[in-house]
Amino acid sequence: MSREQERTETRRAKVEAVREEGRRQDARRRNLKVSLVVVGVFVMVVAAFVLINRLDAAGEQAGQLAAGETQFVRKDSHKLQTAPDGKVTLVEFLDFECEACKAYFPTVEEIRKQYAGKVTFVARYFPIASHFNAERAARAVEAAAQQGKFEPMYQQMYETQSQWAEKKVAADPFFRQLAQRLGLDMAAWDKAYDDPATLARVKKDAADGQALGVQGTPTFFLNEKKIEPRSSDEFKAAIDAALAK
Amino acid sequence: MLRSPSKLDEPRAATDPFPRLLPRLLLVGGLIGFVASFVLTVEKIALLKNPAYVPSCSINPVLSCGSIMRTPQAELLGFPNPLLGIAGFAVVTAVGAALLAGARPRRWFWLGLQAGVIAGAVFIHWLIFQSLYVIGALCPYCMVVWAVTMPIFWYVSLHNLSGASSGTRRKLTEYHTVTLTVWYLAILTLIGIRFWSYWSSLL
Repeated sequence: MSREQERTETRRAKVEAVREEGRRQDARRRNLKVSLVVVGVFVMVVAAFVLINRLDAAGEQAGQLAAGETQFVRKDSHKLQTAPDGKVTLVEFLDFECEACKAYFPTVEEIRKQYAGKVTFVARYFPIASHFNAERAARAVEAAAQQGKFEPMYQQMYETQSQWAEKKVAADPFFRQLAQRLGLDMAAWDKAYDDPATLARVKKDAADGQALGVQGTPTFFLNEKKIEPRSSDEFKAAIDAALAK
Repeated sequence: MLRSPSKLDEPRAATDPFPRLLPRLLLVGGLIGFVASFVLTVEKIALLKNPAYVPSCSINPVLSCGSIMRTPQAELLGFPNPLLGIAGFAVVTAVGAALLAGARPRRWFWLGLQAGVIAGAVFIHWLIFQSLYVIGALCPYCMVVWAVTMPIFWYVSLHNLSGASSGTRRKLTEYHTVTLTVWYLAILTLIGIRFWSYWSSLL
């Protein structure tokens, strides 16, 4: 090959390389553009979905509150005990399969005794999805509540929690035994336990909790204000303060 | 980038679609995955020492690795999954570093890496399914592992596919981030739908 030829070759190769680089840049730009379009469409769909959902929820909340009800305490909410003056109300969103709720249970029992007649205690269901038997437990308690046995069933759930919780097997037979122990009408209990209306009742409580920003259990609201007592003393101090107001 | 003519003739220029991206991705992605696996292992040991221990990533009922680490799915092969991650991601990191340093592995080495990333991709999708639909909770460190495994699988596969020249292959290479974006968004959508009741409480 002569030198002249070699130079031509080199030049051609260079031109080819520049062209190739241009093609690559174009491809890169196209790739980026399509990716961004995909992300953009996704964001728009999500935004639209969230917006529609929010409008729906807002409409529902306003429409569903009956007279004298709040999202904290509904007409059908279970009251463990009632203070005649109605001055102080403690609402607990609870999950029968949650260890922290069980840890609080003795404290709540103690406080209930100490403030009997002074404080209204309301228990509301908030079964958490990752707790396998939480929703079943809530249904079992609700089915007992329909026979006027909310409180003893609620207590039994926590007292026996270690026997059924954290096992990823349906605890229906165990809950049935608990109901039997209370001497309930078992035909009625069975029917209520499987009744979709019972589940709906549980879910209604949880929906209120969600609307109120409950994220975990137990969540306590003292006169509609969220409190996070770390000890029974802190708990009592908060209640005393509310009573003194 | 201009190349000398002799280099242009080399087949490598055509067969390596991401000569700069892939080594860096393997190095950085491998490191991130390694750190996440390592932290998970440390948390697992802490949990074994003290069953009441609450891992740093158990933030709330949905974002909770404590509940996930206690499940049988967290020990698929009889030992904690993150041990696989520690070994696997260490290899990925080392390969990334070697490529950056100019290593040009033979085909069989790439095929070995391919086998590894396929196993990794299959495994994380099984974990995603279990986490979302069986356990019902998300573990942040595990999600980091999901997030790095996907691009590592994708770019190693594209690299190895580049030997074959077909229209589909060219299209996939050209629109490489599109596939990856759709993939990420699909999983994000599944997570969003599955835990919608929780996310909506945050809004």
